[in-house]
Amino acid sequence: MLRDLSKNQSLQLLLHDTELWRASSIDCDFRQGITTGFPVLDGHLPGAGWPDDGVTELLHDQQGIGELRLLTPALARLSQTQTRWLLWVSPPYIPYPPALLKAGIDLTSILIVNPKTANDTLWVLEKALASKSCSAVLAWPGNINEKQIRRLQVASKEGNTWNILFRPAKAAERASPAELRIQLFPPKTSPSRHTSPSEHTSVDFRILKRRGGWSSEILNVPFEDRLNQITPDFPSLSIATEDISTRSLRDSALFQEIPEFESHDFDVLFEDRELMEIHAMAEDNEHQ
Amino acid sequence: MQWPKIMNTSRKTGDDDWPASGIWLCLHFAQLPIEVFCRDRKDHPVVVSCRQKIQYMNQSASLIGIKSGNSMDTAYTVTNQIVNFERDEEKEFATLSHLAQWAYQFTPCVSIKAPHSLLLDVSGCLKLFLGLPNLVQEVRSGLARLGYSAAIGISVTPLAALCFAEACFAEAERGIDKNVVDSFDNTIISKVADSLQQVPVNALRIDKKIEESLQQMGIHTVGSLLALPTDGLSRRFGIFFADYLQRLVGEKPDPQKFIGEDPRFHSDITFLSDVTNIQSLAFPVKRLIAELCDFLQVRQLQLNHLVFKLSHRCHPAKQFSIYLANPENDAAMFLMLTQLQLDKINDMPEVDNISLSANSFSQADAHSGDLFHGTSFRQKDGRLHNNSDRDRTSRLLNMFRARLGPQTCFGLSLANDHRPEKAWKTVRLNKKDYWFPEKEDRQNQRPLYLLNKPRFLLSTNGRPNMEGTLDLTLGPERIDFGWWDGNDAARDYYVARQSCGAHYWVYQDMKTREWFLHGIFS
Repeated sequence: MLRDLSKNQSLQLLLHDTELWRASSIDCDFRQGITTGFPVLDGHLPGAGWPDDGVTELLHDQQGIGELRLLTPALARLSQTQTRWLLWVSPPYIPYPPALLKAGIDLTSILIVNPKTANDTLWVLEKALASKSCSAVLAWPGNINEKQIRRLQVASKEGNTWNILFRPAKAAERASPAELRIQLFPPKTSPSRHTSPSEHTSVDFRILKRRGGWSSEILNVPFEDRLNQITPDFPSLSIATEDISTRSLRDSALFQEIPEFESHDFDVLFEDRELMEIHAMAEDNEHQ
Repeated sequence: MQWPKIMNTSRKTGDDDWPASGIWLCLHFAQLPIEVFCRDRKDHPVVVSCRQKIQYMNQSASLIGIKSGNSMDTAYTVTNQIVNFERDEEKEFATLSHLAQWAYQFTPCVSIKAPHSLLLDVSGCLKLFLGLPNLVQEVRSGLARLGYSAAIGISVTPLAALCFAEACFAEAERGIDKNVVDSFDNTIISKVADSLQQVPVNALRIDKKIEESLQQMGIHTVGSLLALPTDGLSRRFGIFFADYLQRLVGEKPDPQKFIGEDPRFHSDITFLSDVTNIQSLAFPVKRLIAELCDFLQVRQLQLNHLVFKLSHRCHPAKQFSIYLANPENDAAMFLMLTQLQLDKINDMPEVDNISLSANSFSQADAHSGDLFHGTSFRQKDGRLHNNSDRDRTSRLLNMFRARLGPQTCFGLSLANDHRPEKAWKTVRLNKKDYWFPEKEDRQNQRPLYLLNKPRFLLSTNGRPNMEGTLDLTLGPERIDFGWWDGNDAARDYYVARQSCGAHYWVYQDMKTREWFLHGIFS
């Protein structure tokens, strides 16, 4: 009996303390990913973290449900440990530097590129991925087909670069050569108005495709962001004065409600900035 | 005395044999009027004419029987393949200056002798180039790469070198190939006259009238000219002629005016036939870039801006610039960026001339080699750093800027302002442009996305409304700033939650009480 016990113990030892290859473990190729910073997500990803190369698709329809907050811990880690670029290809809005800095991302490693045409976007993506000079490439490619994603996948493997594509949720219906596909939803247990169950926000996700595993059920990732924390004395600020409500009525007649964001927001800004930069460049040349 | 002896004695100091005045190497570009137009194609008959009279022709033109002085009509009756250029003396001089700058890599003492010659004082650089034969070899191969041909003359006085070079060209025309280095065995000033014995008088740079009268007198070589008494010659041909002869043989000093260093680069290639396919410009571009890189290398310079110009006699010229993130001297990189720019050109039907120029340079950094090439090392800041990473990152940036324009790529930095829209700025990725606060005191929530322009939100009962009423959760954070510069902001910022789970950053203007959307907590 004593012998049996010791046998059992040594088996346990073998299983826990050594890197024994087990077919049941999903990170069977010993890939070590970049930790996501969220234990729930880590537990379901091969390599216990984000991959360090290949295409990862994040599918979601609504802006602002936490698609970037899901990535910031990993991006912060990449920017702190590597000297390579963190490339953003045509982001829909300005990635706000104070928030990026607060998330721990080194701003000097950030490079933003705004190609004007879809062809240029693909060219930028492929060159950047294959160049080995970016640690991660975040892209909002708009319409992109399977063939193009396959090229990006090959390029990202070649350049050892992690490519994240943000795509609309309806892309989930079609197959994609991406290595990892995750769909994001607003949290199901939507907190009712004024009575928030938690002061933190969260996002629901479902892994549609991963290496070494089936698609997962819908899971929930909590963020440590205190965004839902309600300021205690807030109700006193509900200043529903008469003039405002009349104004809002007038406005509603004037401005039809704009339900969606205009994606050219960024372009307008950069036209001004371009001018400024051209001036700056001209000045530089004069100095030289 | 033979040349190898001088190499041996050069190690000794104060050797009596060593010429005091220097060794002059003359490059005589007799074919320059032709070569300014066609230095890449030697197999095509090309002539340069002035007022319909052929002045210069290349070898393949002379082989088919075209002679200097023929009219263009004669040439066209011989062959219709012939290409004719009007003589352009300005361009010849520009090219000669460019060649003088090129020759600067051998010695700082370079002098231009118009119209077609350069004089180099090489006495100071023989040791560096391992002796005269090697130096001449280097000059020859360098010129061959550039596509120019020169007759070389060597002597101890500048005028004698010039004379030898012209004589050498004339002999080469007649098919006699003499080794200039072997023939240069006179290193002592007093022997210059002896070495000139066999040189014909028409190689001298003298007035045509004087030359003719010398010929009539039966004086055909310099030797017989020098045998005549000097005072008689000066009485007959003037004081300048006597002075010339004295400088020729080294009896009088002959100081030369050396070129200064020209901090500009300009080179061009003219095509004999119009180039209609822009892609086929790759070869001439490669040649120009190789020239540029040689220019940069010998001066230890780098650059981050170069300009290409494509022109055609019937179309407006097209110019494009290449900006680099960091100053470089890398031919492969220049070539790749140029290729990217060429790919974009679609409104240039024909090209007959391409030029490359660069004006601003910076000193090259000394690059120390990497013993463990390509290995990453952890630096003091905790990052894995690889020497080739730096090259690669700037290479990527250069590519993007070349194809998309320099303004489409930028970095982000904080800015010193409390207004959210001014708390950041775009930067051109120079390290010095970034600004960071001395201490971080950002306790307040900031969204990951900022809208360029705050978006007006409708409100119901004093609450902002966007596809349903927004719940205000965190706030208010009051930002009241900038009343002094006219763009004042007096706002109460809140975090707002939409019923579907998205979080926004909204504010209420304190003056108008209107609500605006300013950011998204993505």
